[in-house]
Amino acid sequence: MKYVIRALLYLVLVAPLALFIVYSFTEGWFFPAPFPSEWTTTTFQRAMDDPRTLGGMWQGFVIAVIVSLLSLILAFPAARALGLRQFRGRQIAWLVLFLPTVVPPLAIGMGLNILFLRVGLAGTIMGVSLAHLISTLPYTVFTLSSAFARYDENYEHQALALGASPAQIFFNITLRMMTPSLVVATLFAFLVSWSQYLLTLLIGGGKIITLPVLLFTAASGGNPSTIAIKSLLFILPPALVIAFTARELNRHGNDIREQY
Amino acid sequence: MKKIIYLLVTLSLLLAACASPAQSSSEFDINDWDSVLAAAKGQTVNWYMWGGSDSINAYVDTFYGTALKERYDITLNRVPVADAADYVNQVLSEKEAGVEEGAVDLMWINGENFYTLKQADMLYKDWAQVIPNAKFVNWENPAINLDFGRPVDNMESPWSSAQIQLIYDSARTSEDELPRSYADLKEWACANPGRFTYIAPGPGGFIGTRFAKGALYEISGDAKQWLSFDQTLWDSQSPALWDYFNEIKPCLWREGEVYPKDEAELVTLFSNNEVDFSMTQDITGAGRWIIDGRMPETARAFVFDNYMIGDFNYVAIPVNSPHKAAALVLANLLLEPEFQAAQILPENGFGLGFAIDVTRVTDPAQVALLEESASKLGESATPADEMAKALAGDTAAEYQSLVEQDWLKFVLQQ
Amino acid sequence: MKFRPSPYLSLAPALIVITIMLGASLFYAVLESFGIIRVIGQDTLSLDAYRDVLSGTGAAGSEFWVSLGFSLWVSAASTIISSALALMAAVWLSGQKNQVDTLAVNGHLAFPHLAWATALLLFFSQSGILARWAAALGWIDVPADFPILVRDSFGIGIILHYSIKEIPFLALIVLGVLRAQPIGYDVVAENLGASRWQRLRYVMIPQVMPALFAGALLVFGLIFSSYEVPALLGIGYPRALPVLALRFFLDPDLGARSEGMVISLIITLIVLAVAVVSLKLEERNK
Repeated sequence: MKYVIRALLYLVLVAPLALFIVYSFTEGWFFPAPFPSEWTTTTFQRAMDDPRTLGGMWQGFVIAVIVSLLSLILAFPAARALGLRQFRGRQIAWLVLFLPTVVPPLAIGMGLNILFLRVGLAGTIMGVSLAHLISTLPYTVFTLSSAFARYDENYEHQALALGASPAQIFFNITLRMMTPSLVVATLFAFLVSWSQYLLTLLIGGGKIITLPVLLFTAASGGNPSTIAIKSLLFILPPALVIAFTARELNRHGNDIREQY
Repeated sequence: MKKIIYLLVTLSLLLAACASPAQSSSEFDINDWDSVLAAAKGQTVNWYMWGGSDSINAYVDTFYGTALKERYDITLNRVPVADAADYVNQVLSEKEAGVEEGAVDLMWINGENFYTLKQADMLYKDWAQVIPNAKFVNWENPAINLDFGRPVDNMESPWSSAQIQLIYDSARTSEDELPRSYADLKEWACANPGRFTYIAPGPGGFIGTRFAKGALYEISGDAKQWLSFDQTLWDSQSPALWDYFNEIKPCLWREGEVYPKDEAELVTLFSNNEVDFSMTQDITGAGRWIIDGRMPETARAFVFDNYMIGDFNYVAIPVNSPHKAAALVLANLLLEPEFQAAQILPENGFGLGFAIDVTRVTDPAQVALLEESASKLGESATPADEMAKALAGDTAAEYQSLVEQDWLKFVLQQ
Repeated sequence: MKFRPSPYLSLAPALIVITIMLGASLFYAVLESFGIIRVIGQDTLSLDAYRDVLSGTGAAGSEFWVSLGFSLWVSAASTIISSALALMAAVWLSGQKNQVDTLAVNGHLAFPHLAWATALLLFFSQSGILARWAAALGWIDVPADFPILVRDSFGIGIILHYSIKEIPFLALIVLGVLRAQPIGYDVVAENLGASRWQRLRYVMIPQVMPALFAGALLVFGLIFSSYEVPALLGIGYPRALPVLALRFFLDPDLGARSEGMVISLIITLIVLAVAVVSLKLEERNK
């Protein structure tokens, strides 16, 4: 049974990747041919020659990093309050922070674009990043607050009693204990921002072009090779980020486990 | 710590808010073309267009991009978008926010988008018939001065022409068994159940709408009567149209429960041997699709004997474009005989037809060039005489949404 | 105490950012839903769009209830299946010393929905890769012989997509809880003679339920309000609510935008209602 689960797990992971790689370098592969017969690098070459491709990756990456940082800065204190405190209005705060996940991006994007056009944020990296915050904050707050709910404040109290400064406590205790969750929260923020299409399209107004915008455009043309190449490029950065964070996550996860 | 965070956030918000104002457009007089060229010099023109076809993208970048830079010192920034409705939306939002210098300079639109922007009064006016190369365009032709049945009113300039055709694979279907009318088609479909489908009529599926309108022409026996809107005519004739589509329905691919939503989907079905016919509007027929590796090289275009609707497609300039001069130069360049000749060659990857009237071109070298191109459409295109014989005009605008909505109600949702 | 600021102060930055951006957007959406579309100079309040959609008469109305049912079915089915699978995956992973499999589960997160849906389409359509292999093996002759797994009337393709795609997100949440729990509980239970199933049922599941539940709620909201996947893997009729909303939103006739906004707002209200009801239910169970 275990082997079946594991086989399925890796199949689901590897099959789409393999498919995209094959399609990236083939054309004219139709039913009923079981395997492609014409191999070409033309489509791949064309995608790489287009300055929008790498430019889009870079812009998307910068935005995702800004969004991750902003989400953490905003979500950290909020999640701490939600996870550790009982106070009047807590439910309402939850609701407001949950709200962005239930409003369809279309309904958000239209009004937001008009607001941002008025204040000059539309079509800028900062504007798009702020818009992404709407969809990332719920995930970061949610991840961090459930970690804070299990967080033991007594460590901080003890440190205080031992004469540690607030900064020392924050960096040596709070941040350390929260690292695994911070990593997960950053990961979610990065992923949600990296794959955000509609808000980027609406707020970016064609001035900010990221890979999802290019991928959607390619999808509208239906050419599997072009779609495959864009998909591969799309998957690459998140895959790297995950490979990096997962190691971090697991290491810290084990640290914590051993403390008990 | 908290204070620093607040400070950072406020600061970043402020910084972002002080985004640099866009450069102002230089003055020009549209009747003095030299002043337009002078104003356009050094500008970047942001051309928003559907970007789903690699070969069209490459054609635009290589042909127009290079010429604009070399001849006029204009930089072409082609902005690829998944759906024309997206940039129409952008322009509308800019209007609502009162943005005087928008993001879009030129856009490739169809009649539906044109109507939307006209409704919102967001189109730059009085230019299309004024640019120098407008002299090559036959503005008397109703197929040109009406777009999806709505008056163009000097607000958009044609780029190319198109006509609906069907595509078959000569390796699978022999030429003499091709249906040559809608009545034939029904017979063919029911003799080959599951091997035919059409694009769902609707916004985005305008080829499907056009296909349905052609059926309306044939069933009512006359195309001309649909040029002006008449509700009673519609009420009396449309039931027969829906009967036709409901009778053919059980013979269709997946028994008419599902339809491809656009040309790209139908092409995928066709090339993978799920259905036997595709549809296109390209003058080069299957040419562009073959070049893109999306259809086998044995794909060929054909038409019915009658009622194959043809029309033109256009570029327009939003009223708040910051680089109108450069946009005008580009719109003018599109009509240059040399580029008109280039766009119809299958190997260049664009695939649509002339927007200009070849008889209006006087320069013998240019005439020769245009004629040479026209003779090189290749065997995957429908022969020009058959296209011309089958050509029909579009309906009055009101029928567009009637066909789309009633098809949903009386065919799809049945 | 110095590092115990008021919770309101801690929440303020996040709440302010969300409230301003979301508030402006919703204000605009509500205005448009009431027929106030300023780009075409339409500025009288009207309930027409609501009537059109809810009464089942107008162009949007004729499909609205069908789409609502379809969206509810697809979202609920996907959420339940993916939660169950995520729970199994997390329990399986938590018992492993080796972290490679966890890494693999994480890896699934890297696939954006659009790329994943495209892959599903390429594999499972009637002329897709699987059909081609089936044909090569002589199991089918023509594409029509292959079962319809994507772009079907029941949303199977969409459910297939989300059921797999949402597993990693939910599994990681559950795994986070399991990993943060002292090993003790499990060991104690084992020492007391609890079987593997009993430990799962009485020790692990109660621990992870609140987190899994909250995560499932997020997933439900996401599926119910998302457009891309149902647009790609679904069909023209019945279609998911967000697909219907966008159709009217992008109608060449700008007046139809009101219907699009009404549907968007209804989507919002439904997910909110589901969230509130489930949170209340969960509170009562505690």
